[in-house]
Amino acid sequence: MRPERVDKIATGVILGLAGLVGLIILSLLIYILAMGIPHISWHFLTTNAESFTAGGGIRDQLFNSLYLVVLTLIVSVPLALCAAIYLSEYAPQNRWTRMLRLAIEVLSSLPSVVVGLFGYLVFVLQFGLDFSLLAGALALTILNLPILTRSCEDALRQVPYLQRQAGLGLGMSKWRVTTKIVLPAALPGIITGAILSAGRIFGEAAALIYTAGQSSSAISYTDWNPFSPTSFLNPMRPAETLAVHIWKVNSEGLVPDARAVSNGSAAVLIITILLFNLVARYVGHRIKQRLTK
Amino acid sequence: MDDLKKRLNQPSVESRQEWVGKLISYLAIILIGGLVGTILVFLTFKGVALFKNNGVSVWHFLSSTDWQPSHHHYGALPMIITSFSVTVLSGIVALPLALVVSIAITEMLPKKIYQFFQPLIELLVGIPSVVYGYLGLTVIVPYLRQLFGGTGFGILAASCVLFLMILPTMTSMTIDSLQAVPQKYRQASAGLGATRWQTISRVIIPSAKSGILTAMVFGMARAFGEALAVQMVIGNTTVIPKNLMESSATLTSVLTTGIGNTVMGTASNNALWSLALILLVMSLAFNLLMRLASKKGAK
Amino acid sequence: MQTSTALETKNLQVLYGEKHVAHDINLKFPKNKIIALIGASGSGKSTVLRSLNRMNDDFATVKGEINFHGVNINQPKVNVYRVRQQIGMVFQQPTPFPMSIYENVIYGLRLAGEKDRKVLDQRVEESLRQAALWDEVKDQLKASALALSGGQQQRLCIARTLAVRPEIILMDEPTSALDPVSTSQIEDTLVQLKEQFTIIMVTHNMQQASRSADWTAFMHQGHLIEFDETATIFMNPREKKTADYLSGKFG
Repeated sequence: MRPERVDKIATGVILGLAGLVGLIILSLLIYILAMGIPHISWHFLTTNAESFTAGGGIRDQLFNSLYLVVLTLIVSVPLALCAAIYLSEYAPQNRWTRMLRLAIEVLSSLPSVVVGLFGYLVFVLQFGLDFSLLAGALALTILNLPILTRSCEDALRQVPYLQRQAGLGLGMSKWRVTTKIVLPAALPGIITGAILSAGRIFGEAAALIYTAGQSSSAISYTDWNPFSPTSFLNPMRPAETLAVHIWKVNSEGLVPDARAVSNGSAAVLIITILLFNLVARYVGHRIKQRLTK
Repeated sequence: MDDLKKRLNQPSVESRQEWVGKLISYLAIILIGGLVGTILVFLTFKGVALFKNNGVSVWHFLSSTDWQPSHHHYGALPMIITSFSVTVLSGIVALPLALVVSIAITEMLPKKIYQFFQPLIELLVGIPSVVYGYLGLTVIVPYLRQLFGGTGFGILAASCVLFLMILPTMTSMTIDSLQAVPQKYRQASAGLGATRWQTISRVIIPSAKSGILTAMVFGMARAFGEALAVQMVIGNTTVIPKNLMESSATLTSVLTTGIGNTVMGTASNNALWSLALILLVMSLAFNLLMRLASKKGAK
Repeated sequence: MQTSTALETKNLQVLYGEKHVAHDINLKFPKNKIIALIGASGSGKSTVLRSLNRMNDDFATVKGEINFHGVNINQPKVNVYRVRQQIGMVFQQPTPFPMSIYENVIYGLRLAGEKDRKVLDQRVEESLRQAALWDEVKDQLKASALALSGGQQQRLCIARTLAVRPEIILMDEPTSALDPVSTSQIEDTLVQLKEQFTIIMVTHNMQQASRSADWTAFMHQGHLIEFDETATIFMNPREKKTADYLSGKFG
């Protein structure tokens, strides 16, 4: 066969297959959204979940998911940032540094069930945190740390060496140069990374079913004392998140309207993650503008 | 001048800042390193308890097909086989399709289309696995039931779900590695009279090989470790499946359903931790494979 | 001893890993002069310059002595930050920080803890005047430094270095990124500055060396070939390699 003919056939096959795959995936995405969006209402978002009767909402699950993201970021961002500063600014090129990098890589490849089980073993049982938001946040921190450390390190490395040099040449300490010159310049990249990672942990379920738990206690949104057991801010209460809720309702749930609740929840999950991505994109776009100005 | 001499030899505010800063950042990285060490040690200890305390031999655990914790039969082979089956099946289907989509996007379609697809792929990468599992439960399982009869639950359904889950990730990684091939290779090949397909098959794919391989291993590692999405559609029967349509169970699905139903320290609980240890070892193996794949490209 | 020595190197060697990039450099930099380091690219001149205030600490192994006021500053126990405050550095590319002109100039002072507005104001004016930038920017001190032209930015960086009041200023090809007009402005500035400072400058531009430098050191493949008064080096070089380089036979 002449090469031109082969080229035509290959092009046709590739475009055809790619189009088919794209179509299937796109239609599944649209299917989920189309099934779920009609079920999303103010009532659905602001009502308590029901265990045995239809008509329950996802208020607590949605709040728990968001709160868990906030708690996780509070723990993981400073830790990941400091580790990234070490790797990008201080780490000597030696075997020990390579070991530490390997450790982070190993951490990033752990399946989330394994992380969840470790969290169960250590945070829930050993530390006596029981099933709680805090235990869940710590498990999510383990999942989040490697990704976040890498994105922070990338953001720090993007800052031209010239800027550091200028500071060092004035007799500033490296730490000062890092916090006063490098960090502000890398901030948008760090924020983008944090938002993207927030999207990822927002939908995590496997690491949570044995750490944050699979059920929620009754909570009050008017009780602002984080130490009160019924306060919505109390990090020591067990909390079912949105993603866990979908799994729970479908695998052992008893609610008659499981399909409707799951459809709505899945759509809410996807839309929230889309929002996270859009915000991250917007922030990233803003950096570009600032740099080219 | 002696004053200057003294000043040069004495620590200053800057020295203190440097010391503190170095300490803080070093502590953070040591904490992460220590965490990884702790995870490995804890899970290993829990994982070998079955063999040390309950007298089950490692070989029996890995080779017996009989998993009945209530009768003290701890054979993990059915789950191992199922886990590998769903991983390999989904990976084998996802690799060529991820490659095809990536080639179409980077080499054939106009750039504008990529700019439209990129956020979409990012979104698909970010969709939680539970949603893919739910999709499997409500769309794929009923469809398979209609097509082949039976319950619809099983390896095939799980593979389909995993395929959907890892395809976006693998595609986006493959796109990255194709885009990393320098433009001059394409021009040089075209300049020698090669058709587009010749350029793609003889120049671009070979030079992006390590990236494509890494993407595949990464996708399969994710598939192997996925728990809930698989658990929702696999049927959860701990026997060696006779065909792809029969209900079975993976390491992860047994873990998710089992941990809550056993008492810490008992043999049946220890057996679950041994399954977790297999998962851990496999994730390390996948990690090693990925290193090998990316090293191959560096040469 | 008509002129005292500002800085002296003894058997200075620089290694990048296994690679020797500077061998046994012995130089005595006279005070209140402009000294040029010249040589082809890869001759090690920038490497030597950066070693003088220990900017190479992270990248290279520097052996030998660097004596400053009787202290060998090339020792780990010496306070490297104070060394750099005494021996400042201006780089090839202008590197203003993304803040106002005023804040750029007093950046080093602020870090040293100076808060008195009067002192800061006075130092800004003094440094900008010394760097011959005052007249151009005195009405826009609060404007962003990034809005200045390349030549202005480089003079701002010089002012920023001067504001810390160092004794010695190291300059690594300070005009290579600039146009000819800005270059000659900076050269004029340097001549003014040597009354108070010692300036050690790397340049690949031989005219620049002959125009502004009092002393010139010629380096070739990591070795110091010749160090003498600029007039002698250019008119009457002792070494054949120097003569070859100056006549453009290599480099």
